[in-house]
Amino acid sequence: MTLLGRIPRDYLILIGLVLALLTLPSFLNQFQLSIAILILYWALLGAAWNLMGGYAGQFSFGHAAFYGIGAYTSTMLLTELGLSPWLGMLAGAGLAALFGIAMGYLTFRYGLKGPYFALATFAFAELLRLISSELKFINTSIGIHLPLTGGDSWQRLQFEDNPQNYFYAITILFFVGYLIKISLVHSKLGYYLQAIREDEDAAAALGVNLMRYKVTAVAISGGLTAIGGSFFAQYFFFISPELVFGVPISIDILLGPIIGGTGTIWGPLVGALFVTPLGELTRAFIRTPPGFLSFIEGRSGLDVMLFGAILIVVILFMPNGLVGLGKQLWARVKR
Amino acid sequence: MKRSILKPTHRNWLILALIILVAIVILALRWEQTVFWLSRYGIVLRQATVTGLLIGGVYGLVAMGLTLIFGVLGIINFAHGSLMTVGMYLTFVLFTRYGVDPYLSVLITVPVLFGIGLVVQRFIIHPARNAPEHNQLLLTLGLALFIQNFLLVLFTATPRSIRLAYGRGETPIGPFMIDFPLRIWGTTITLPKLAAFVFALALAGGLYLLLQRTDLGKAIRAVAQDRDGAALVGIDTQRINMITFGLGTACVGAAAALVLPFFFVDPLAGDTFNITAFVTVVLGGMGSIPGAMLGGLIIGLTQELGVVLAPSSIKLLGVFIVFILVLLFRPQGLLGVKS
Amino acid sequence: MRLAKRSMLLLVLGCVSLWAGAQTIAIGGIHPLTGGLAADGIQMDNAIQMAIDEINEAGGVLGGTPLSFLSADSTGSAEVGQTEAERLINEGANAIICCFQSSVTTNVATIAEREEVPLVIDVAVMDAILDQGFTYTFRLQPNATAMGVNGANYLKELAEASGEAVDSVVVLFEGTSGFGDSVREAFVAEASELGIVVLDEIGYEPFAVTDLTTEMTKINALRPDVLVVTGYYNDGLLAARNAEDVLLDVKAVFGVAQGTYDQAQFVADAGDLAECFLDSNYHHDASNADALAVLARYESVYGEPMRTSAVFSYQAVYVIADAIERAGSADPPAIRDALAETNFDDFLLPHPGPIVFDETGENVNARPVLMQVQNGSIVQVWPPELAEADPLFPCVSWNR
Repeated sequence: MTLLGRIPRDYLILIGLVLALLTLPSFLNQFQLSIAILILYWALLGAAWNLMGGYAGQFSFGHAAFYGIGAYTSTMLLTELGLSPWLGMLAGAGLAALFGIAMGYLTFRYGLKGPYFALATFAFAELLRLISSELKFINTSIGIHLPLTGGDSWQRLQFEDNPQNYFYAITILFFVGYLIKISLVHSKLGYYLQAIREDEDAAAALGVNLMRYKVTAVAISGGLTAIGGSFFAQYFFFISPELVFGVPISIDILLGPIIGGTGTIWGPLVGALFVTPLGELTRAFIRTPPGFLSFIEGRSGLDVMLFGAILIVVILFMPNGLVGLGKQLWARVKR
Repeated sequence: MKRSILKPTHRNWLILALIILVAIVILALRWEQTVFWLSRYGIVLRQATVTGLLIGGVYGLVAMGLTLIFGVLGIINFAHGSLMTVGMYLTFVLFTRYGVDPYLSVLITVPVLFGIGLVVQRFIIHPARNAPEHNQLLLTLGLALFIQNFLLVLFTATPRSIRLAYGRGETPIGPFMIDFPLRIWGTTITLPKLAAFVFALALAGGLYLLLQRTDLGKAIRAVAQDRDGAALVGIDTQRINMITFGLGTACVGAAAALVLPFFFVDPLAGDTFNITAFVTVVLGGMGSIPGAMLGGLIIGLTQELGVVLAPSSIKLLGVFIVFILVLLFRPQGLLGVKS
Repeated sequence: MRLAKRSMLLLVLGCVSLWAGAQTIAIGGIHPLTGGLAADGIQMDNAIQMAIDEINEAGGVLGGTPLSFLSADSTGSAEVGQTEAERLINEGANAIICCFQSSVTTNVATIAEREEVPLVIDVAVMDAILDQGFTYTFRLQPNATAMGVNGANYLKELAEASGEAVDSVVVLFEGTSGFGDSVREAFVAEASELGIVVLDEIGYEPFAVTDLTTEMTKINALRPDVLVVTGYYNDGLLAARNAEDVLLDVKAVFGVAQGTYDQAQFVADAGDLAECFLDSNYHHDASNADALAVLARYESVYGEPMRTSAVFSYQAVYVIADAIERAGSADPPAIRDALAETNFDDFLLPHPGPIVFDETGENVNARPVLMQVQNGSIVQVWPPELAEADPLFPCVSWNR
């Protein structure tokens, strides 16, 4: 008990959650499982974004930069050198972290904050997209197909016969990502970052090395995002500059954590649990609407309209995200 | 610790000057090639300049709306481009259904978009005024998705365009008959682009005067500078917020009508202009109206000159490089004030 | 005894198949119904519905089983395309038609392979999709190489037939979404092979381009014989207008898999300017009365001219229906086996022979046809056996 009591509760939740997740493939059909895979994948990416955007308060609108670096690094290492994507993932994470350090150093050195920093990250991502569209050795804008080798292989992270293995793979990555996130949040670095977010000047006055901690946050966040990018490449078998460096990726990454609750451990997961099926649900609703709404059946665009409207409503009524709302309700229940 | 003699900003300018100097030296050393290149591609250079300025005027107008909203409300409006698309469809319907000339329809699109802006601010942005900054950003993203797909349902995705009955050959401009497109020193200037440029500049000037000379403009500037102070002296800041958002979207209402004669409209058409508008706003200095126009012209030029200077490259690339350089070396923008 | 058992089994099987006969056979369709490519995606979705309705009116397949349509929106993203493919298969799709985008197709093909449900690609141009050894995937449309290679050859032949020299070209292409780039690559390789000099390749970003006047001025300065363009509808329209603005001094503007210059909408949007524009593209066969009847039906039902992409989706339904008839069953692997044996004569496409798939799944007779705007309509001008009119070359509308 004393030993358990010392371990932050979040670790226990994580372990329990992962154990529960591992039983899922026996309940779910392939369609449901692929949505579960996407939820964990967005939760991982959201957690990565959250370290920088939520905890350190450095709002990024260009996480596609890291994501694309991850996707391209592991893919190139696989196609050119036959390197296992697991190692490619690490290499991609390393490269993305280096890119994050360079970008962070440049932008923070010149004191970019708030919307300026957000637009700078956006510009870096767009720059990478346009440059990679021109690079011959990564096949320009045409993109790269990952070679299918047939059958299942953990070493090559490719499962043609048993796609539930992808679920186990993303569960492992999710576990590692959240482990890193939780330990960071509970470390000295995590406290410094939150201090920087609340009041940068005060933190500096107290002797916190702003540059060092902010850049570290960008590097770790970027590295984790790159892992998500590598997973995308392995799971969807095709990458191109537009797909992996495009603006939609940057937007999708930040949707989950903001809806779930920025600066919270479980916000990105809760957000992904909400956002990922939402698109499916709105599509299903328009496909087979209730009788009195039958005139909207199959009108393309209505589903995304509905998605946008729900997004607006959620943000208006839950300014602190779903986790924030949950905490409020919990406080009210306790009172 | 020994301090550098040069202040950081001076050092930046020095670096910039050095880069330009090196470029000039390289050009001078390769003088013959330069002359040959200019004789062959000089016309491209001139056309790039002309097109860049003409299209830059429109970018400037779009960016002015964005920068106004940012200056007063402090939010980056991602729905700006989608609102422009609304204006474009309005212009299209007015032209095809009622035969309204697009340049006349500015008189309709501007008030309509102004009204839409008021409503959006009141019912979507205002309720989130105390929420974290990024919530407002996501709100405008949600709004953009909503508008884009509303237009998709209404008009389908098929692109639409209009053709003016005039604008080629002899065209009466006031008392003069002018042969369009104009051919000046090898360059081509078409009437729709010239008109868009002239009207954009005129509207920009009008907006600037409105902000400088009228009581409303003074109130807007007061709120932009010091919200609490403005409230203390009796300015209804929420009213100003609404009006500012309305003015900002009215800018894209005008831009929408001006670009349609040489562009097209589909549910995503306005967003084409919004990407450059973000860059433009930062370049000019967030919140600076003249800065937005200047920034628009520079972005237009950068984009077009990129076609000449970078062989077989995509012209947006240069825009983003300039953007990052500006962010790093002069984050407050060309005409912005340092916060 | 054994015989009795066997006949019992047969009886049961017969009953099951009778029971199944009361059901429908489901065809899934996955296309971008929202987002930047929705204009094509929605039409392709409509076309599948139209073909299925026609087949059902004519009595369905397998002696009376109606087809049903399971529609899905890929939204243009690989993630959604994948989950939708899995949903369709879960809901009992017997075959799938998809995707319009190469990026979505690869992944859907992988799922089709794993779940053993046949996939007919109506449109998706990238060669590499079928390099993966899929056995359940078939493609109707000519791939990027076929587009580029045939395009270059048509240009060469056109020049020779008219006695005009085409020694040099400039290629203007959309350079960020992969489609234009892959066609450009194939075209440039073949053109060099044929001795046509490619003076420059100018890329642009199709979803951010606002004007191409400077590019056109640059092309004028490079003085090519012909301008080759590849890209989507909107940017193609801009290119046409800006070419006229600068009075582009070329013998012709020649589209290769260009999404504009073979569309009826181009003539409506651009008017007289549209005259003489050439496009070597995948298309319906305009000399085929059946194809024209389909186009007319589509326009009367949906109120706008039918795009080429939609013709391919429509065709795909009939190819699948044919396979179901030959398989004598709606069992997906049986449909696949029948698809692999396809020899479909009654096609609406300008191909020199029937629809036949090779072992990789490529339609061996798929090829583009060269079209030109003449007197306000799109006519086929090359190759000669498909020509409705003689090509006008050299010809650009602003120099006439």
